[in-house]
Amino acid sequence: MKQNYKSVKMALLFLLFPIIAFAQSEITGTVQDTNGVPIPFANVIEKGTSNGVTTDFDGKFIITVNNLPTTLDFSSLGFTTVSKEITNTSPVAVVLEESLESLDEVIVTGLATSIKRSNSANAVASISSEEIIGTTPPPTIDAALYGKFAGAIVNSNSGAPGGGLSVKLRGATSITGNTQPLYIIDGVYVSNASIPAGLNAVSAAAAGGSASNQDNPTNRIADLNPYDIENIEILKGASAAAIYGSRAAAGVVVITTKKGKAGETKYNLTQSIGATSILNPLGQRTFTEQRVEDSFGIDAVADFIAARDAGRIVDYEDEIYGENGFISNTNFSARGGNENTRLYTSISHINEEGIVNRTGYEKTSLRLNVDHKATDFLKISFSSNYVNSISNRGFFNNDNTGTTIGVSLTGVAPFFDLFPDANGIYPDNPNGSSNPLQTRDRAINRETVNRFIMGTTVNLDIYKAEKSNLALVARGGLDFFGQQSRAIFPKDLQFQRPENGGVNGASIQGESQYKGYNLAAFLVHNYLPNEDWSFRTQAGITNEFFRLSTQLLTATGLVASETNVDQAANVGTDQTRNFQEDAGFFVQEEINYKDQFVATLGLRGDKSSLNGDANKLFYYPKASLAVNFNKFGFWNDESVWNQFKFRIAYGEAGNLPPVGATFTSYDVFSTGGLLGLSLNGVLGDPNINFERQKELEFGTDVSFLDGKLSFSGTYYIKTIDDLILEAAIEPSTGFTSQIVNAGSLRNNGVELAVNGTPFSNSNFRWDVGINFFKNTSEVTELGVDPFNIGAFGATLGTYRIEEGSSATQLVGIGPNPGANGFQVFGDAEPDFQMAFNNAISYKNFDLSFLWQWKQGGDNVNLTALLTDLNGTSHDFDDIDLDPSGQLGNGPFRLSQLGSSAEVFVEDASYLRLREVGLYYNFTQKVLSGILGGKIDGVRVGFSGTNLINIFDYNSYDPEVSNFGGNSIFTGVEVTPFPSSKRFLFHLGVDF
Amino acid sequence: MKKIMNKIYVFMALLVVVTACDVQEFDDLNGPEVESFEQLLTRGDLRDLVGGIFYSSRDRLGTYLDDCGVIGREYWRFSSSDPRFTGDLLGGGNAVLDNNTFYITGPWGSRYRTVKNANLILGFLDNASGTGEFTEAEIAVTRGFLRTFIAYELLLNLNLTDEGGIRLDVSDEDNLGPFVSKTEALQGIRAILEQAITDLGQGGDFPFPLTSGFAGFNTPDTFAQASNAIAARVAAYQGDANGVLGFLGNSFLDLNGDINTGIYHVFSADPTDFLNPMFFPITATTAGARVMQPSFLTDAEAGDNRLNKVQQRADPLTLDGLTGDYLVFVYNSNLTPIGIVRNEELILLYAEANITVNPTEAVSALNIIRNSAGLANYSGATDQASLIDEMLTQRRYSLYAEGHRWIDVRRYGRLNELPLDRPEDDVFSQFPIPLTENQ
Repeated sequence: MKQNYKSVKMALLFLLFPIIAFAQSEITGTVQDTNGVPIPFANVIEKGTSNGVTTDFDGKFIITVNNLPTTLDFSSLGFTTVSKEITNTSPVAVVLEESLESLDEVIVTGLATSIKRSNSANAVASISSEEIIGTTPPPTIDAALYGKFAGAIVNSNSGAPGGGLSVKLRGATSITGNTQPLYIIDGVYVSNASIPAGLNAVSAAAAGGSASNQDNPTNRIADLNPYDIENIEILKGASAAAIYGSRAAAGVVVITTKKGKAGETKYNLTQSIGATSILNPLGQRTFTEQRVEDSFGIDAVADFIAARDAGRIVDYEDEIYGENGFISNTNFSARGGNENTRLYTSISHINEEGIVNRTGYEKTSLRLNVDHKATDFLKISFSSNYVNSISNRGFFNNDNTGTTIGVSLTGVAPFFDLFPDANGIYPDNPNGSSNPLQTRDRAINRETVNRFIMGTTVNLDIYKAEKSNLALVARGGLDFFGQQSRAIFPKDLQFQRPENGGVNGASIQGESQYKGYNLAAFLVHNYLPNEDWSFRTQAGITNEFFRLSTQLLTATGLVASETNVDQAANVGTDQTRNFQEDAGFFVQEEINYKDQFVATLGLRGDKSSLNGDANKLFYYPKASLAVNFNKFGFWNDESVWNQFKFRIAYGEAGNLPPVGATFTSYDVFSTGGLLGLSLNGVLGDPNINFERQKELEFGTDVSFLDGKLSFSGTYYIKTIDDLILEAAIEPSTGFTSQIVNAGSLRNNGVELAVNGTPFSNSNFRWDVGINFFKNTSEVTELGVDPFNIGAFGATLGTYRIEEGSSATQLVGIGPNPGANGFQVFGDAEPDFQMAFNNAISYKNFDLSFLWQWKQGGDNVNLTALLTDLNGTSHDFDDIDLDPSGQLGNGPFRLSQLGSSAEVFVEDASYLRLREVGLYYNFTQKVLSGILGGKIDGVRVGFSGTNLINIFDYNSYDPEVSNFGGNSIFTGVEVTPFPSSKRFLFHLGVDF
Repeated sequence: MKKIMNKIYVFMALLVVVTACDVQEFDDLNGPEVESFEQLLTRGDLRDLVGGIFYSSRDRLGTYLDDCGVIGREYWRFSSSDPRFTGDLLGGGNAVLDNNTFYITGPWGSRYRTVKNANLILGFLDNASGTGEFTEAEIAVTRGFLRTFIAYELLLNLNLTDEGGIRLDVSDEDNLGPFVSKTEALQGIRAILEQAITDLGQGGDFPFPLTSGFAGFNTPDTFAQASNAIAARVAAYQGDANGVLGFLGNSFLDLNGDINTGIYHVFSADPTDFLNPMFFPITATTAGARVMQPSFLTDAEAGDNRLNKVQQRADPLTLDGLTGDYLVFVYNSNLTPIGIVRNEELILLYAEANITVNPTEAVSALNIIRNSAGLANYSGATDQASLIDEMLTQRRYSLYAEGHRWIDVRRYGRLNELPLDRPEDDVFSQFPIPLTENQ
């Protein structure tokens, strides 16, 4: 987007050039970087005017100025800006230094415009392509956000290959509504839906009263290819995101994909191969005859002795989770074009196996981006992306039937024999309803996605004059995908056989079709009355449509080995349609006085079919001010101060009610063949409205020593009013919950970032970045009675929404309950989060690594409890929990069951070496001898993800969420797919 | 340039069109809204809505029966994925019954869901009266049907919370009636049943079909016999022996008839239906099993054929310090119906009421039960206390795992006679009122 705008501006400047050129003086020159490499497309602008040109491929430029002497500003993305006074027409040679944190980088402020970072009043995070894939390529885009900026909590729901992450910006933004940011790619609103595969029909996970998605599906943002991304901008809260109105309360992630560059077509081929393995195996309990008798009964002792004497003690954890999954990641891209038409195209293929046999993720992505300048005043950008992905997710997480691989493994003792015989017949698990080896080898849980994302932006310069101009920006985007889920549980599975109470095989097949399209048009008017002032006005309208229709067929009683849903005794069908239409308008005025003061005022109006009154407009204002003290002339050009800015911004944004919140409805059921309607348990509110978020943020950006050291600090206060709550209601009403606007929530947070280059010379350079984030939330007002939410009840530890408490507090029954009858045991909110980013280059070696530290934040860990109940916990006999030192950990945890939830609430702090990469770049000297010097660059290296993990959490990984990532109530663990670490070897070739 | 201007005009026109467009308002795309029946209730609608009563009256029925069966020490419920069946319900260790856990919130909410489904239909019927869609008699007998279900569902919840009471008046979700005492609740439930019996007196036919579980009771006249049967149970809980006998007189009590005559919940494998939640196969594992509490076997008289309600498995099952090798096998498949009220219970209620009114008649009724179980006539003492002992024993075996034992020993003050399986176990007398009732 920002590039688009820049190009518009350049086109505009080109156009202005002949009008105002009286051919006074023509100045020529070159722009190079510190290595003497020409910088193409650098901006050369006569200071205080709109007269400017860009350099050509060789970094050369010609600019005509009215008078001499004059001052030219030279700038380019990623470089510091240089001003040079020109007194004569002799050729000018300008060297631009690479900037650590480029002040000239542009960021989004309006829907159609951008602003220089140095003038921004918001702490907008920006992540470059280098940061996304430079150290190690992430499996999915959202996995690249870990630790890259302050203000986000990124959490993986499980270790299943193919994603399933949640990104939460600046704390708790909603209790019932969406908490995931809005994703926009090249102007297209893209879906990040997680569509469950209907496994509940087998796992009955939601039967225990937790009617929430526990199927662990992929979130659809995983479809994007990280290699295609040029830049990601994160608008963390309402103050920056107000322009996106009613969908922006959880923040907005604006992704720009790579564009073509004019000139010789450049190709890049990158191949990575590697492996993944379990991050933290727990081990098994060591059994003795006495322990077997205590936990499995006297009859099992003989089995144990027989297995032990025959050497058949099996590590089933290793059997299931011990695979080394193979990873291959191939990416090919080409970019090129001429002045009028530029294109970028790529193809990538990712194949990742999981740490469980027969799980994996395979994705093929094709992209074509075309930018075309039709005339001097008309420019068209087109981006298109096709993705095919297949993920085999395995069968994990909570269940109430003892059938998932995770839950059934908790009941497996090492002396059991679960391996198939010579005929491939699996024995039944004597201590559970499922043989996990059989389920792993026979069951299928597969998601297949075919997706198109396309966007077109048209920039039309309607009117141009020396002091003002008017442009029209029109944009259309389409996101379309078909998702097929196939969950097959063959009839020979232990829990499917009728004699074991099974339904003789289940085939659950889902088909989802999603279509989202968005249309927008904006008029942008620039007015530059004199050198000191500039005004930019924009106004536009937006319209968005979203349609998701899911059909789920659940067939049981399968015929022979057929899996087609018609080849079955019983077939259930379920269709769910979610339709939504939003429309709105947007106006914004931006005033800039000498870059000293930059003020913005804006207003968005929005309506949505999800509101009680679909055609009522809701308004979201914003206002901001940035003051650049370094532009006041207090410091001369030689000063160490490059930037000294104070900024303050206020904005409001909304969060739409969940689909269907306005309705009180029935569901359709049957009884012995008789159809029936029974209430679905949710009391709707026909007057439901948006949640309204109001955010005030202020901070400072300081940069010294030519950008070698910079600091940014931001404090924000974010309140959310009219909280939409699916609050518990007295069950004697006949409803389980009611949807109401009732309550307020406040988040306070601080974000700090320090970036610097402690050392730099021609051979060695060390860049370091540290960011820090802390958020605290409080429910400031609650219009309904306090309620428990998001876990399995107070006995086992639960979230509780209560006035005056953190929105993510964890409470439970306990020996010292408060006035509400519950004891507070923790809070899912971390005390703070920090990341340490390092990039070291020595000659041709690049080493980069990222440490991420999450301090505090608690989980509800029920995996340990399930293993305790079966007497299989790895620490069952260790004694370090019982304060009296009497009971082993297993018996102690069990003794607490029903009297205290304390043992189930665990500290989920961690310190990780999140990313590490070491690369070698072959020198031009070496390459020039190969293939006639056609090779421009070769880079080889190793990288890893999560290679070092330090945590004191009694399970596979403190980063986990049984209920997926859509709510703030993550961190509940029930036998997840364990997390893994990755190790990759890379080869990249530019030619 | 003119061409360009034209393009701009076209675009401007487009903008105006888009702005003028209203956002489309959608109805609930995924299910019928309550609103839609308020103005017009057709016969087809009524059929579907009544179908929902049959459905929701079975929701969490398994949890209700497990609550009664486990606390009443009829059996243990093993579930390796949920520790609270063997923890909280048996009072293991320091565990107590929680007021926000599925064992109370699930059945409690589901019973009131049925009550709400029924109350909504009563409201729709008020609006439908006079529209010509139904005769007044049809409306009256439908009310009688619905009120019977409302009373029965309220009774099941009262069985769980006992002295804690229930809300009787829940027709307006914005203005719920208060919690009333057990005594008041039983009076209220009985009054609803009496009203239902009056409504059903209009005769004729129901304007909707009933499930096969109501075969023989699917007309207003015959259904009223079932309403009387439930009322007899309520009267027994009130200790009103004459009331019991009065209701039994109008019920389907048949001292010489099939003890299994009655009304039933039915099940099917249709994915929108329930399977019988009380069925586990004999090969069940600790993942999910109902294991007989051993005293059921050791306390039994020799030759009692009701012991076929449990079956021995090859290996014992062990979970949470409990070991047993007999599983509950009252239902032999996941499609077997579950009784709501059966003739066997009515004969036992007849015997119970007659212990004070006519002890000889009580003994002969008990003998009918004993004989049907393959046992000889009762030969013990015929004083009141002995007959109560014998009646409770027969109820224990005749109504095994049907949700009666706990309530029976409770109403006779004998909870302390139930066996404890582990040193720290407790027998609870009632469930706490669910947290979300805000009491």
